[in-house]
Amino acid sequence: MAMRELVTGGAACAVPGSSSSSNPLGALASTLLGSQSKAEGLKELPATTVTGHDGSTAYGTEGPLTTLPGSDSDYPQYQHPAPKTQEFLQSFRDHGGLAEAWDDVRRPPIPPFVQGRESQPQFAEFEHIYASSGSSHIQPTWEGERVLSNFLHSFVDSSRAGIPFQPVSLPALGLSPGEKQCIRDRSSIMARHFLADKSEDYISSQVNALLHSLDIDSDLRVKGPVHGRYPELEEYWSESQGTIRSQPPHAADRWVAEFSQHGPHGDPDSWADSFGRQHGANGWASEFEQEQNQMMATGQMRGANISNLAAMEQTRMLAQTLAQNEDPKFQNSKFLQFLSKMSRGELIVDDNQIKPSDDWAGEYQQQYNANPDAWADQFVRGEANFLQVSHREDTWANEFSNERYLRGEVDDQWVNEFSKLHVEDWADEFGRQVGEGALGEGSEWANAYDQYLDEQLASAKQRSDTSRSVYVFSDMNPYVGHPDPLKEGQELFRKGLLSEAVLALEAEVLKNPDNTEGWRLLGITHAENDDDQQAIASMMRAQEVDPTNLEVLLALGVSHTNELEQAAALKYLHSWLQHHPKYGTIAPPEQANSLFYADVARLFNEAAQMFPEDADVHIVLGVLHNLTREYDKAIASFKTALKLKPRDYSLWNKLGATQANSVQSADAILAYQQALDLKPNYVRAWANMGISYANQGLYEESIRYYVRALAMNPKADNAWQYLRISLSCASRNDMLEACDSRNLDVLQQEFPL
Amino acid sequence: MSNPSPLKSAALLEQMKLHLASGAGKDLSKKIGLVYQLNIAPKKIGVDEEIYIVDLKKGEVTKGKYEGKPDATFSFNDSDFIAVATGKMNPQMAFIRGAMKIKGSLSAAQKFTPDIFPKPSKL
Repeated sequence: MAMRELVTGGAACAVPGSSSSSNPLGALASTLLGSQSKAEGLKELPATTVTGHDGSTAYGTEGPLTTLPGSDSDYPQYQHPAPKTQEFLQSFRDHGGLAEAWDDVRRPPIPPFVQGRESQPQFAEFEHIYASSGSSHIQPTWEGERVLSNFLHSFVDSSRAGIPFQPVSLPALGLSPGEKQCIRDRSSIMARHFLADKSEDYISSQVNALLHSLDIDSDLRVKGPVHGRYPELEEYWSESQGTIRSQPPHAADRWVAEFSQHGPHGDPDSWADSFGRQHGANGWASEFEQEQNQMMATGQMRGANISNLAAMEQTRMLAQTLAQNEDPKFQNSKFLQFLSKMSRGELIVDDNQIKPSDDWAGEYQQQYNANPDAWADQFVRGEANFLQVSHREDTWANEFSNERYLRGEVDDQWVNEFSKLHVEDWADEFGRQVGEGALGEGSEWANAYDQYLDEQLASAKQRSDTSRSVYVFSDMNPYVGHPDPLKEGQELFRKGLLSEAVLALEAEVLKNPDNTEGWRLLGITHAENDDDQQAIASMMRAQEVDPTNLEVLLALGVSHTNELEQAAALKYLHSWLQHHPKYGTIAPPEQANSLFYADVARLFNEAAQMFPEDADVHIVLGVLHNLTREYDKAIASFKTALKLKPRDYSLWNKLGATQANSVQSADAILAYQQALDLKPNYVRAWANMGISYANQGLYEESIRYYVRALAMNPKADNAWQYLRISLSCASRNDMLEACDSRNLDVLQQEFPL
Repeated sequence: MSNPSPLKSAALLEQMKLHLASGAGKDLSKKIGLVYQLNIAPKKIGVDEEIYIVDLKKGEVTKGKYEGKPDATFSFNDSDFIAVATGKMNPQMAFIRGAMKIKGSLSAAQKFTPDIFPKPSKL
């Protein structure tokens, strides 16, 4: 029985991205009506496939989803049967006998090996799928159906036997585009499933042979989990759009009306009953597991999307576990809804940013902001009724766990693996602890999350990824067209107006991309402005133009040291020595990637003995010792250099930073103070001050310095991150919003220095 | 001396070692009192990992396996750990992305926040 449920649960067309479109209808139908209903039930399924060739059905059956995009059928407790479902059931009851007869007649002849192989779930599933895709769609030509069915089975057979499948010529089957896509998607997935031990090329060739015979293009669309969902999402979107427009202000009204038919006024049990029918009888459970399986299968098949698939997998498991917790607050949390979106691939996470996987999510977000109460409202109303049936949900949950337990004993390899996944899973434990009432912390966590999400979604579009070593120019630059932007930049730099100087220098390097000095000074300015990424990018451009510029090489060494990129830093410092007119002779022309710290340090010590009055060599030595984390030596080197160059503010800062990194924060602050006396707008030193206070646990103080640094350079991302940490450590959560929205006016007013 | 570990995380953890001996660091041990194990891989989680123990009971950072059971074990790649430790990436986000794998107690994991790490100062 379990196996059959597993099979019938999988009727949705499982394109990777749409796999979450679980199929309550199919489950409902098969549970309620048994196998005879399959043909009838599957007719309704296009609603949950990506083909979307029956849009009106999709709207009807998935009504609740369109108004509740945050909670999907992953969360069975919010599945309310829409009238369409009722109609469908009713019509089925009326024609039950007919459907039964229909099904019996149309069931394709199944070769004997099929029945004997029920213990191999994936084959059973595959055969079922093919059987159903044949039987449900190709009604006019029974002959064609039989041909298709046999053909697909022969493919399964050859895959299992490991025999390459040969294209065959078949009579025209008259498949619709939707059917073709369904078969194509299924075939790709299942073939990877069967042929997991084969190469990707082999799999593709097998699938292509199959598709070719059926005259189906092996469209690349199946490969992207996201793309596959477009039609469906667009339907959801346009539907919710339409609802909201036609019935302001409550998008929910229609739904509420529907709901009340089943809700408090009517018979709450009927709702509960259908809920139980939908979800009680394993349909959901089996879908869940099946999806897991597909996730794994698709995960194996492509490296490119693996991290997003992994994320989807993670969130799916987390969401499933959390969904079992009944606390309405928790259920209502955006966190959970977010997870559900993630798990369905509607949101993807790229670095630290959440991006809608298409415009739909973004638009939805706008819509949501414009009309914030509509669905939340409806949600709350639904909540009350949900509580009435929550005891039934318990039974459901129990059944689910029983089911899983029982299935563990069946000798199904992947089910076992799936269960194993859960054993030490963090998500599981999370769910358990939340369930045990550790919710104080849990919900705090979720709340913090909600905040974080808002922030992320807001900035997702505005901030695009900065890839390494690519210089990112400012959008609006008033200095473009300036007659002499370099001179202007130098002037601004000298005055300490670093952010302005950046703009002028950008204008310069746009005008003269081969001007080393332009790039170099731009790099220096960025470093003083506490932006090492941009500093590195500028300096690399400078180095392209002039590979032997000592200042550029040193700056690159320093910036890479700051970014903790030790090998790169060492390479540039060594290069500095090689290209130095005085010391070049002592540096062997070694390959940079075979450098050893000890050797490089020895060379610099030699150099320092040759010319002890050269401050530069002591500076480089100081940086080098920072790399090897020999802070005492580094401090000594910088102090020596300072004796020679006492007015070098960047040197004072280097001393301070080294002292700070070796936990001599009090000394560090004195050194920074020296630097700031010499250069009051030295953003880096202000930010470093903040760091020193924060590392001493003086968070209030650190906030003031970070804010000061940010007031001078609002683009100093590190400082924003650190400010946020300090704010929460100082229990100034009231200011987090200002921090997240980068509202410097508020922050400066609150934290004057 | 031989080349130090090429990991950026190693540099940060080295600093953490010193930090834990300072006043603020000792407060941290008092406040948290948990032992974390960090498995840090250069590129891909699980491949060529270096193991560090951040012992916020004793206030130590050591390299190599923990004698006993840490309260929580995290696996990262090098860059993601730095991103989390410097507040660039929220730990929950890292978890959801699959950039951070967690074993052990949840309550211990929840205390694993960017503020326990010292911030590197910039030369």
